Amino acid sequence: MSHTETEIPTPKTNPTQEPEVLKAERSNLGMLRPDHNKSVIIDWLTTVDHKKIGIMYGAIALFFLLVGGLEALIIRTQLAVPENDLISAQRYNQLFTMHGTTMIFLAVMPLNAAFFNFLVPLQIGARDVAFPRINSLSLWTFVAGAIVINFGWLLQALEVMGLFEAKGATAGMTDLVPAGGWFGYAPLTSTDFSGAGTDFWIMGLQILGIASLSASMNFIVTIINMRAPGMKMMRLPVFTWMTLVTSLLIVFAFPAITVALGQLMFDRVWNTNFFNVAGGGQPILWQHLFWIFGHPEVYILVLPAMGMISEVLPTFSKKPLFGYSIVVFSGAVIGFLGFAVWSHHMFTTGLGKVATAAFSLLTMAIAVPTGVKIFNWVGTLWGGRVRFSAPMIFALGFVWMFMMGGFSGIMHAAAPADAQQQDSYFVIAHFHYVIMGGIFLALVSGIYYWMPKVFGKMWVGNLSTWVAVLVVVGLNVTFFPMHFLGLLGMPRRTHTYLEGFGWETYNMVCTIGAYVLAVGILLLLVDMVRCIRKGTPAGNDPWNARTLEWSTTSPPQAYNFAKTPVIPARDALWEHKYGPENRRITYEEDHGHGVHMPSQSWMPLIASIGFIPLGLGMSMMQAGVPFMGYVAIFGLVVVCVGLALWALEGPGGYHLHPEEG
Amino acid sequence: MAHIEENPLPVAADTGPLNSETAKYHTFVNLALALAAITGVELVLVYIPFHPVFILSVLLALSLFKFIAVIAWFMHLIYDKLLLTLAFGTGMAIATGTFVALGFLMSPSNVDFEAITQF
Amino acid sequence: MSNTADHADSHSSLVVDNKKLLMWLFLGSDCMFFGTLISTHLIYRKLYPDSFEPTTLFSLELTSFSTFILLMSSFLMALAVSAMHKGQLKSFRRNTLGVIFFGLIFLGCQVYEFAHFVHEDLTLQTNTFGSTFYMMTGTHGVHVAIGIFWLICMYFYSHTGKMDAHESAVDVEVAGLYWHFVDIVWIVIFTAVYLVEFIPEI
Repeated sequence: MSHTETEIPTPKTNPTQEPEVLKAERSNLGMLRPDHNKSVIIDWLTTVDHKKIGIMYGAIALFFLLVGGLEALIIRTQLAVPENDLISAQRYNQLFTMHGTTMIFLAVMPLNAAFFNFLVPLQIGARDVAFPRINSLSLWTFVAGAIVINFGWLLQALEVMGLFEAKGATAGMTDLVPAGGWFGYAPLTSTDFSGAGTDFWIMGLQILGIASLSASMNFIVTIINMRAPGMKMMRLPVFTWMTLVTSLLIVFAFPAITVALGQLMFDRVWNTNFFNVAGGGQPILWQHLFWIFGHPEVYILVLPAMGMISEVLPTFSKKPLFGYSIVVFSGAVIGFLGFAVWSHHMFTTGLGKVATAAFSLLTMAIAVPTGVKIFNWVGTLWGGRVRFSAPMIFALGFVWMFMMGGFSGIMHAAAPADAQQQDSYFVIAHFHYVIMGGIFLALVSGIYYWMPKVFGKMWVGNLSTWVAVLVVVGLNVTFFPMHFLGLLGMPRRTHTYLEGFGWETYNMVCTIGAYVLAVGILLLLVDMVRCIRKGTPAGNDPWNARTLEWSTTSPPQAYNFAKTPVIPARDALWEHKYGPENRRITYEEDHGHGVHMPSQSWMPLIASIGFIPLGLGMSMMQAGVPFMGYVAIFGLVVVCVGLALWALEGPGGYHLHPEEG
Repeated sequence: MAHIEENPLPVAADTGPLNSETAKYHTFVNLALALAAITGVELVLVYIPFHPVFILSVLLALSLFKFIAVIAWFMHLIYDKLLLTLAFGTGMAIATGTFVALGFLMSPSNVDFEAITQF
Repeated sequence: MSNTADHADSHSSLVVDNKKLLMWLFLGSDCMFFGTLISTHLIYRKLYPDSFEPTTLFSLELTSFSTFILLMSSFLMALAVSAMHKGQLKSFRRNTLGVIFFGLIFLGCQVYEFAHFVHEDLTLQTNTFGSTFYMMTGTHGVHVAIGIFWLICMYFYSHTGKMDAHESAVDVEVAGLYWHFVDIVWIVIFTAVYLVEFIPEI
């Protein structure tokens, strides 16, 4: 493979020359732009580079993965033996709520976003995303939302120490961390039953929604508009396709939860009647609105994972993806059908016969495109020259484990069976097989596959084998017994249980499995750190891969591609390396114009920071903290000022002139 | 931006033929008159003692026309690329489908009023 | 914001302007947003048909007037966008001022309406009708207010001399799309929330 690499122009800038040539210009407001800053911190805070933003998304997501994992371990430790009193029921409620919320919104979604950010512009041959500053806003708004949603822990710690007491609308309520489940079913979230924790949850999710929406719209525009010449839609790498479908799902699903959260906020702050039973409100409406968002959310989590698998399997089978177009089409169908099945989360609420039958059938129908994808992945392996490198091991694990989660999913689609399984550990087993066995293994596969591109360092040693063994064994030991626990009738969300139901052994096994899993994940982090610190130089294309991102340097330069590539075929790099002469990647001549780079900016960061006082002010006002209304208004002003200055400063930009080496 | 210095004055040269803008102007005027007239008709219609189902159907048809007309002409959708229609249409279709399904699921015949203590 | 058109990084697959596509996606998303709000209102209205009689409160004359005003502002907005495409800055300013003026009249009508309803004892807390009605029309009003603010900024920006025909025409067009969307949402609300209440026996 190396003999062809020389044909790809390797971009190199002369780093010693750069600072002398490039000086930061003044914006339309007359302020100096933070370009070419010597301070690393300022550079990363104001960056609009999709690669740096992606790395930050990834680092923060991994941090929250650990936080969510720690919460899970405390839950499992509490449940290890019957009638355990390690933590109180209230603390248990807070832990499972924050475990779910953290894992979905602060770990898996941003980890997906990390891959979107880093890979999509590279895979389509673009210099950056369509709106680099909006991309920066998405990142920092996500951070603001994460801070708001987790701030309750600090307040709760003060409360435990006797330094804080809720007054005002939630006077006397002691739960200052969200405790209503990640779905926040009404009327448990009303001020009658829950404290300021729910307000942190509402404001935090609302802010995270802004981050997700702005990021997704950005990616849709990027994928449609920023493709390199010749990169037709049906030549896009499958991961990019799945990014597009996921982004569309976010754009159309998030407004439902935005409205539902707004109505809940009105109920809590202004005593309206949306979900207030005494005033005629229907709590079931919350369930509908939540799952109108919540079910597409499931596909928002899993489709990027499917995309990663569709990249890894062909590379390590030395074969093109079997049935590319049908895989893409299936992904789109899954996304579309995802909007028509939400009520299968509500079979036991009494929807009526027609509705139950309709949603049951539609849910089963989703198994068809999903099954098509699995057969296509198996078809990709068939007759291929399979290499069992680290990414491949995890990808194969995904196919198997995800299938198991899918099977129990089809069992839930049958409404009578679901009536038995609802709210039992069987459901927990199902979605943890999908999320841990499916999405998480795919993300680890993606980490092993693309980290050499991100940092330019190749993995050393064979720790990945240990990670694979521990994670796969750990997750099966943890979650498989939960099927039995569910069938034996153990309900979800109970902080302890009595002896004599036959649940003791299974629970102990689950807890042991959880610790095995935790060791596996810690080893993964150790391996990542070792790769970054001691890895050998990766070179452009360490895996003999197929897609465009492997044709540029590792790590890619700020401008990605020194010259715009012209794409002659699907699997562009593979065709370039092994295909006929007319399928080589060519490069557009830039006639000395250089690569136009967007200027960095403080404004997205400032606007995002404003969300922190806004969210915290609104929430703590509910706990009766004085002056919090003013803090919220201050936050809103900061957001508006940030956006206004953003509009006025002008996009700026400068040119880089990469020399070919 | 860098090109501001290059053309400091607003120029029309690169924005297409002026004739099409003039043609659009007449379309806009006609449409505005039609929209105003339809709103007047709607206002009168609800007071006329026709059959309610008939009135409702006509109202829905008229507002649908207003809705589509504003999108098509004022928002330039018929002059623009199909892609934009798809982007908006997908959202509109999902919203309409959700609205219909939700209306069915939450219709009075499907809600157990016994369970509601007050009201 | 975008780096389109005249930069080295604009690729040949660029089919629609970045900002326009972004705005249309936002509007598609906003459809779902208002769809949910209107759904909530109509569902509760149908569930409790006798809890509240809006015809005693609604003034169809006032609402028809504000609908008319909003439709005309949409017309002026279309003219403003057209003027910007032709590079006629004066015409753009005149029409934009008209849009802002009509938008303010609409908001004034809404404020009057809200004040009147509250005076007649329909508040956010009264019943589900009050909650859903105020939240839905209030959210629409906030959209109108944001639109007015946006256009006022555009109007003043047009006096700085920094507007250029190419990029600014797209900016104005995007603001226009937003304004028209606010208008079509009102078209739906006018029929589904106000007019149908006056049909006898429905």
